[in-house]
Amino acid sequence: MSVSSYSSKVDVKAREAALKVLYEKFYAVLEKILSGEPPKLVIKKRTLSNTIYEPERKLLLLGESVFERSFLDVREAKKFMQTLLMASIIYEALSNGEYPTIRDLYYRGKHTIRYRKLPSKSVGEENTWDEQAESDSVLRDIEVFTNVLREEMLILSKEKGKVVGNLKIRSGDDVIDLSKMGHGAYSIEPTPDLIDFIEVDAEYVLVIEKDAVFQQLHRAGFWRKYRAVLITSAGQPDRATRRFVRRLNEELKLPTYVISDSDPYGFYIYSVFKTGSITLSYESERLAIPNARFLGVMMTDIFGSSKLNKKPYLTESERKNFIIRAKERDIKRAKELKEYPWFKSERWQVELDEFLERRVKLEIEALAGKGLKFLADKYIPDKISVGDWIE
Amino acid sequence: MAVVEENFKSISPAEFFYKNKEIAGFSNPARALYQTVRELVENSLDATENHGILPTIKVSIRELEVVPEGAYYEVVVEDNGIGIPPKYVPQAFAQLLFSSKYVLRQSRGMFGLGAKMAVLYAQITTGQPAEVIVSPIRSKHVYSFKLKIDIKENKPVVLGFTTTSNILGGHGTIVKLVTIGDWTRSRQRIYEYLKRTAVVAPYAEIVFRDPEGNYLLFERSIEKLPPPAREALPHPHGIDLETMRSILKSISDKPVVEGLVESFQGVGRTTALRILEEARIGVEKRAGELSEPEIETLVRVMKNYRDIKPPRADHLSYLGKEIIVAGLKKIFEPEFATAISRKPSVYEGQAFIVEVGVAYGGKVPVAEKPLILRYANKIPLLYDEGSDVVYKVLDEKKGIDFKVYEVEFPAPLVILTHICSTKIPYRGVGKEAVADVPEIESEIESALREVLRELRSYVLQKRRELEEIEKAVAIAKYIPEVAESLSRMYRVNPQEISVKLLDLLNSRMKSFKIGSLSSIVM
Ligand SMILES: Nc1ncnc2c1ncn2[C@@H]1O[C@H](COP(=O)(O)OP(=O)(O)OP(=O)(O)O)[C@@H](O)[C@H]1O
Ligand SMILES: [Mg+2]
Repeated sequence: MSVSSYSSKVDVKAREAALKVLYEKFYAVLEKILSGEPPKLVIKKRTLSNTIYEPERKLLLLGESVFERSFLDVREAKKFMQTLLMASIIYEALSNGEYPTIRDLYYRGKHTIRYRKLPSKSVGEENTWDEQAESDSVLRDIEVFTNVLREEMLILSKEKGKVVGNLKIRSGDDVIDLSKMGHGAYSIEPTPDLIDFIEVDAEYVLVIEKDAVFQQLHRAGFWRKYRAVLITSAGQPDRATRRFVRRLNEELKLPTYVISDSDPYGFYIYSVFKTGSITLSYESERLAIPNARFLGVMMTDIFGSSKLNKKPYLTESERKNFIIRAKERDIKRAKELKEYPWFKSERWQVELDEFLERRVKLEIEALAGKGLKFLADKYIPDKISVGDWIE
Repeated sequence: MAVVEENFKSISPAEFFYKNKEIAGFSNPARALYQTVRELVENSLDATENHGILPTIKVSIRELEVVPEGAYYEVVVEDNGIGIPPKYVPQAFAQLLFSSKYVLRQSRGMFGLGAKMAVLYAQITTGQPAEVIVSPIRSKHVYSFKLKIDIKENKPVVLGFTTTSNILGGHGTIVKLVTIGDWTRSRQRIYEYLKRTAVVAPYAEIVFRDPEGNYLLFERSIEKLPPPAREALPHPHGIDLETMRSILKSISDKPVVEGLVESFQGVGRTTALRILEEARIGVEKRAGELSEPEIETLVRVMKNYRDIKPPRADHLSYLGKEIIVAGLKKIFEPEFATAISRKPSVYEGQAFIVEVGVAYGGKVPVAEKPLILRYANKIPLLYDEGSDVVYKVLDEKKGIDFKVYEVEFPAPLVILTHICSTKIPYRGVGKEAVADVPEIESEIESALREVLRELRSYVLQKRRELEEIEKAVAIAKYIPEVAESLSRMYRVNPQEISVKLLDLLNSRMKSFKIGSLSSIVM
């Protein structure tokens, strides 16, 4: 049985579409070379300055400014070569009916170039790329350049998101009941768009940044008791997790709450779910969840706020035990966040100012440490019921 | 207290230098051997190139016998110069302060001492007489002398004299001495001296046979001689009382106006009259009739007379760029060499010209400091570098900052400086260092900066070329990869793509092209 017999009709179509675009987009490079002109690629910049926040849609989008990657420019030559190398590998994988992971692409393209240095004539060795970060980076360039996303090119990435809850889905030919996962959980697949939602009985979606806390809440039966779909991104959310949550939110109209560490990195994770990330801003339209809510942990949950007329969830002595002194880089990051337009709301400025004043942070585990009961039966339900979240 | 009575007496120049050999550079056997070679070679060069003859000089040192202080060496220097009229030979070699170079003309010799010091040192250390064989130009005979110095009287003693016929019709001089020396301890200096002499005399052929039997030949690499030095009249600005007196004495019968015009450079009839008027000396006076106060006033007026041309320099024999560069290239095989000769300048009424050359890269050894080759009137200066004016220019904190000229040490750099003048302000009769006369110092600095600027342009140009080569390689090494990628997608021939890309790359390079990709990518 050939590999391709597994592929569905949807797959074949996606392959053909992606092949066509790749072929056409890079054809210009070949044409230039054959007619004796310096080859170059014009690509939209994936930089902070070219990441635009659209306040009405609450989305981070890629701006219009572009850069030229010219082969004859010594600073760009290597990247140019890498981009073409990556495009050709993807092209081959698509035509062979394969589903490479980004790691596969990295290994397929990685080999050593041996060359003679001049004028010394000594032999130099250089890899097409060394780290996966390099091949990942050109892959992103190709997504932007061709306007075709990696999922559409049937490239898989390692996904770490997990989900449990009263939810039945179809994945491939199987129907899976996400309330029957035992102590485990369902791993969100790399192509969440191929999932069908069959049945759902839940009031909201709760995303926990930390895997360990997710497991504790799962074992405590939190999702059953409060009729939630419980998800963890296990750190920075990957694309599949974000897409999956987005579909729950958009298609099943479930309110979505996010809980992360109480520090600038945690806050930023929430903002990635909500508005998109700077490195992947070209994907925001598919991945962002503009109405996602930040439930906690807030600085004001720890210290209270006279300005908001809010009492703290922790006592003086608990605070002492649970908080950690912020590092220099945390402070620096908070200052950067304060300047991002999507953190410019009054409510966020209160949180960030509080952080910069107190110079301490708190991990979600610390709240679980106060007692799982506190987290599961007081902190989360209370905050949801009184509407103590940031939109 | 017992009073010791002082004894007064006078000694001859020979006795003086016998007692003070070290001021002429003859302080010990090692130094004496070096100084002997030097004095004789310099006389030979003066006797050839100053008279339009391409020099061929043979130097030989043989060890005869080992003694406690060192060893007896026979030193022979032979040249193809103009020779010496036989009647002057005894004095030229055995009477101190006898010279043909006591005139205002640039030459290596200056003091009338060199040859005699070598003869004197040989005589007092080994007791052997000097042997001088001369054959002046167009002479029918060859004359041989055996000479000693009467030290008390400073007079030559001729121990032997023979004449043979000059069958071959050649000309030149051979000087043979037996002296105590120390080859082991002077070996390096002597080689260094000959090498440095060869640097500024690429027009000379020099053969050296050392006591170990090794031969060293510096071939003639250029047929061009520097312009010969010519004798100049004294310049009024360089005059002093004593010189004035002797000049006036030599022209005592002439009217003083005429005398001035005849004896000084830059002084025409009008100028002479104005000078005399300013000095309140009657025009009708004869040179011999001036009173002592009049002579004093005349000297003062002349020294300060403004409206007069600076000393002439056209009688100086400088090396010029071509010779310096040829010399540096011959000896150091650098990758880059250049030189400049400054316009003539003046100190104390003496004209002088400074020349500076640099050699960079190639086979020049890399060192923490530049290798400095100092010359004065074409003589290499090896000792006493610390007190030399050149070191003042280079060494001082505020001196030359080589980084400005894109040279970062350690670097392969040779700097050659040459001062030529009718009168070099040596620090001693051994001729090893030049005093720091401000005018000379500033000329050296300007010259040095000028050549270093040229060096800088060269270094920058070369760096640009290197950068271009590196850039070309940095791009070319990816060409096959790009070609393969395109061929995977479009089924084109990768060879064809590679060739096109290489052509494109080469068309962008100014000074460098990659012949074929296979020379870069393996
Ligand atoms: N090889 C030679 N060929 C021709 N003339 C010579 C030679 N060697 C010496 N003389 C003559 O002998 C003279 C004396 O030489 P000596 O070296 O003693 O003094 P100098 O060269 O005049 O001055 P200095 O003491 O500076 O060397 C010279 O001026 C020159 O006229
Ligand atoms: Mg001499």
